[in-house]
Amino acid sequence: MKVRRILVPAEMTARELARRGVALGLLTALPLAFYVASTHSGGDAVITGGIAMAFSIAGASIFIALTARPVDQRLALAGYRPYELLLGRLLLLEVFGLIVAGVFSVVMILGTGPAEPWMLAAGVGLVALTSVPFGLAVGALVPNELEGVLILIGVVGVQLTMQSTQMLAKFLPFWGAQRLLQHSVEGTVSVGAALPASLAYSAALFMAAAFIVHRRAPTPLVAAA
Amino acid sequence: MSTVETPLLLEGAGDHELTAARCAALEARAIRKSYGDRVVLDDASLSVHAGEAVAITGENGAGKSTLLRICSGLIRPDSGHVSVRGRVGFCPQEPGLFDLLSADEHFALFAPALGMTREQAIGEGHDLLAEFCFPTAEHTQCRRLSGGSRQKVNLALALLGAPSVLLLDEPYQGFDHGSYVSFWEHVARWTDAGLGVIVVTHLLEETALVEDVVDRVVEMRIARCQDEDCRQ
Repeated sequence: MKVRRILVPAEMTARELARRGVALGLLTALPLAFYVASTHSGGDAVITGGIAMAFSIAGASIFIALTARPVDQRLALAGYRPYELLLGRLLLLEVFGLIVAGVFSVVMILGTGPAEPWMLAAGVGLVALTSVPFGLAVGALVPNELEGVLILIGVVGVQLTMQSTQMLAKFLPFWGAQRLLQHSVEGTVSVGAALPASLAYSAALFMAAAFIVHRRAPTPLVAAA
Repeated sequence: MSTVETPLLLEGAGDHELTAARCAALEARAIRKSYGDRVVLDDASLSVHAGEAVAITGENGAGKSTLLRICSGLIRPDSGHVSVRGRVGFCPQEPGLFDLLSADEHFALFAPALGMTREQAIGEGHDLLAEFCFPTAEHTQCRRLSGGSRQKVNLALALLGAPSVLLLDEPYQGFDHGSYVSFWEHVARWTDAGLGVIVVTHLLEETALVEDVVDRVVEMRIARCQDEDCRQ
């Protein structure tokens, strides 16, 4: 596998994303709006704002995956392997997500003054880390943007309304990040399983995305004798 | 509930099919494809050999695009097989382009897949676009290009990297008259250079010009209808 076959798709995804000025602005403003709107509830604002960042990063990932789908078939026909295209996008979107997470962490640390600021930064980073494979998997699965956005709203919305101690919350993708964010303000929550759970969830989501795009890839033609 | 089956008839193969079968650049045999109850292709066969141009015509829903997509590998047939010598260049009916990227960026994106450097791909892409009077100095994003210009980029991507077989699905949509005529002249050049070319076309305009270029016309028809109304 040549690294160029991953880096060039990543570069073109970056160019495409950079040209979506309005979308980028909204992507940044959306979690900020959630955070500001819930500042009256004290430390919960950190959890709400942090998890709401998944709307932005997973949303961007869904749209990137869906807009690329018709071109990806041609690219695969030309010689790319589907996982190379997916890895390129994963790489770029993770970098983008971690930049947004860094900026947003600073805003929330300054705005809320949590007991453990590094835990807050780790929680927001974990949201970014999980959001990209989640968005790529949803983008690979659904036929159109509408379905993708509805799944995104559903999953993140349910995660936002649940306490991390509830049984169902543990099966949602952002549970690990939620634990870290909760711990950053309360300092009493156990976080031992948070990182492994998030990493496992992210890996599983990426594998699911890779499986779906592989299934959709062109059939290799038989070489004539 | 009545059902409609729409199997395929291929006409115009004749003796030429025997020649093509011996040294086919691309050969599809006994292809069957259905979507649910609707049979789009049934026992369809098609071949093209190096230096030959084949036009596929037929009414809407006859399965022209489906057959071409199966030949390219984009769709799996229910049964049958496709074999090819070399690499296939495919130009879809709807330009498969990123709206926010320019033509050059598309060439750069395709370069690693085709084993080319970025400079090689952009240089070759410029040469291909220049043949179709596309202003290659422009770095306009594809969303701002006219329909015809988008289609020229679409066509250039299919030709990039010197494929041995070209599969073109109504590749001249949005072309003005001059570009349309030029397209068929290019088909003649590509076949002279040894490419096997299959062009799906809804209507053959400029018939005299096309007849000069195309070696065979394959007509696809919706051949059998089991719906009660159709029987009547």
